[in-house]
Amino acid sequence: MIPGSIINVCVRHLPLLRSSCVVFRTAQCSIMTSAVRLQQTPDGMIPEMPIAAVDTEMPAVVRPPLPLMTSRTIAFPPPNTPPKQAWLESLATIDDEKLGLIDLHPDIFATFPRIDLLFWNTFWQKIYKHIDYSFVFNRMELRGGGHKPWAQKGTGRARHGSIRSPLWIRGGKTFGPRGPKSYFYMLSKMDRANGLRSALSIKYAQDNLHIVDSLDLPTDEPDYLRELVESRGWGLSCLFVDDTDIVPRNIALATDRIKPYNVMPVYGLNVYSLLKHETLVLTLPALEKIEEKLLLQMHKADHREKKFSRFST
Amino acid sequence: MSGVERALGLLRNLPRVSLSNLKPLPGSRYKRKQRIGQSGGRKCGRGNKGQGQRNTLPRIGFEGGSTPFYLLIPHEPYYRGIHARRQYPPLSLLQLQRLIDLNMVDVNEPIDLTTLCNTKVFQVNTRKQQYGVNLTDEGADIFEARVHLEVQWTNEQTIAAVEKNGGMILTRFYDPDCINAMQDPAAFFKKGRPIPRCKLPPIDALRYYSDANNRGYLADPEKIREARIILAQKYGYALPDISEDPHFEMLMRRKDPRQIWFGLEPGWVVNVKDKVILKPTDEMLKEVLQVIIAGTITDFSSNSASKVFIMLTVQKVELFEEHLCRRWSHLCIFQ
Repeated sequence: MIPGSIINVCVRHLPLLRSSCVVFRTAQCSIMTSAVRLQQTPDGMIPEMPIAAVDTEMPAVVRPPLPLMTSRTIAFPPPNTPPKQAWLESLATIDDEKLGLIDLHPDIFATFPRIDLLFWNTFWQKIYKHIDYSFVFNRMELRGGGHKPWAQKGTGRARHGSIRSPLWIRGGKTFGPRGPKSYFYMLSKMDRANGLRSALSIKYAQDNLHIVDSLDLPTDEPDYLRELVESRGWGLSCLFVDDTDIVPRNIALATDRIKPYNVMPVYGLNVYSLLKHETLVLTLPALEKIEEKLLLQMHKADHREKKFSRFST
Repeated sequence: MSGVERALGLLRNLPRVSLSNLKPLPGSRYKRKQRIGQSGGRKCGRGNKGQGQRNTLPRIGFEGGSTPFYLLIPHEPYYRGIHARRQYPPLSLLQLQRLIDLNMVDVNEPIDLTTLCNTKVFQVNTRKQQYGVNLTDEGADIFEARVHLEVQWTNEQTIAAVEKNGGMILTRFYDPDCINAMQDPAAFFKKGRPIPRCKLPPIDALRYYSDANNRGYLADPEKIREARIILAQKYGYALPDISEDPHFEMLMRRKDPRQIWFGLEPGWVVNVKDKVILKPTDEMLKEVLQVIIAGTITDFSSNSASKVFIMLTVQKVELFEEHLCRRWSHLCIFQ
């Protein structure tokens, strides 16, 4: 939930928020949307803005002649493996115009697809934040049961010393859950990096990876984005990844109103989200950053992680 | 087609990998249930009744009343660690004289481990912790050759016998890698490896090799000159003046403490087939190879401060060795 005070602030500054090209997003829904909803009158109309902000005119696309690029220098190319290639595309038009051809690092985009590591990555992403709160009283914590319910001998009944014995109905539980129990652990850094490389390789191998020059859309209409994705056969869900966490205004507004389309910075890239979305759309700067970070991780010498080790102090 | 390409090619024709079709490797997720003992956990591996179960077994080494093994055999502490000690297989002056008389060794050239091993009469095995030759004094009375010797271990009588004839003798340490190279240079060159840089002696051998009385290669040459005179007086012979010897220059030749063959430097590669010597051209590599610690020539046995210094330099040299190895693995820049 978004705290009410933030929404109030948003409502007050809504014109400013709208006019600025920066939109901050949260997990549930953007502040922008919440603010718009709050401002709606009962008949569903959005009141007039004091500042006219949104440019609805489609700006003419001006760019140098195609192709923009036909190759790309990759860092630390492996000696005997040729680089992989991908089209450079654009979101500026609905029809799929190829801006150029770029090279992808084969160690990142054509490694062995470790399905098992994908499993462990997603498993870890689900489990590490899980806390089991279930708790059951044992015989000592239950109320009563102090005195012997009946005499040891002479009654003809079974011998019992306490009504809270685990043998009794409404007795204590012997080895019951003793929450809260944390399931936190860290998957090793190598496995995390390898999982990302496997996921990216699979996306590339199954034609679900697209590289675009930028996330600039001519309009903030969600229909434009939906039509674009459908006409290009990008599937039902799309993950757009940029190198910064400040995305262009149009795509922020467009994806905010389509649930399966999401935007993410490079530092948020993870195996779960990669597999959850059918198509992955990377910008060129994001591609550069992903390759740089994963290569660094591959060739770094710190094999031993100490930080989250079970025995570390 | 590599395994990676085949796997990715397979994936092209399979459904999209998503959250719903992941699986760990079979057998990796759950541990197999532990199976408890042959008797189902009843006896806990301790057998049936008796001392074993009640933990009243006799003490370890007890042999039922007879004198146990550990009291029967005498204690021999001087053999502790003998397998790891440095061994110097002996060669007597008598044998050396015989080699010289049979023209198997040329006295007009310096005699070192390579010369001795080339006769095939003497051999060194580094796998048996052998670190070179121990020249013994057997046959010192009949030894009459004028030689320039470089041995790994010797004693006073031997030194006296060699110097009496106007010869020079020097004790010199080689590490096993160098010994391997020196005992069969042809095989070593065939491997195409660069000539190793000799390591400094280990700490426990440092005193021996920096002592002028042992003619150690790390000792002060001035002190060695004095020690030669003192030894001559002790054994009662006149020390011949080697400066008048026709082979004076040969007698005064000295290897660098890092060098294992005359005329060849560490880092060079000798190609016997094409008859060329390949020298490194990389500047950084040259710099590392040229590390000749300034202190190695001076006398280290005299004061304690210099001992500390050489210990530091030994450490430093190890670092350089490491660096050198790394450089070699990356660089193959030669002429």
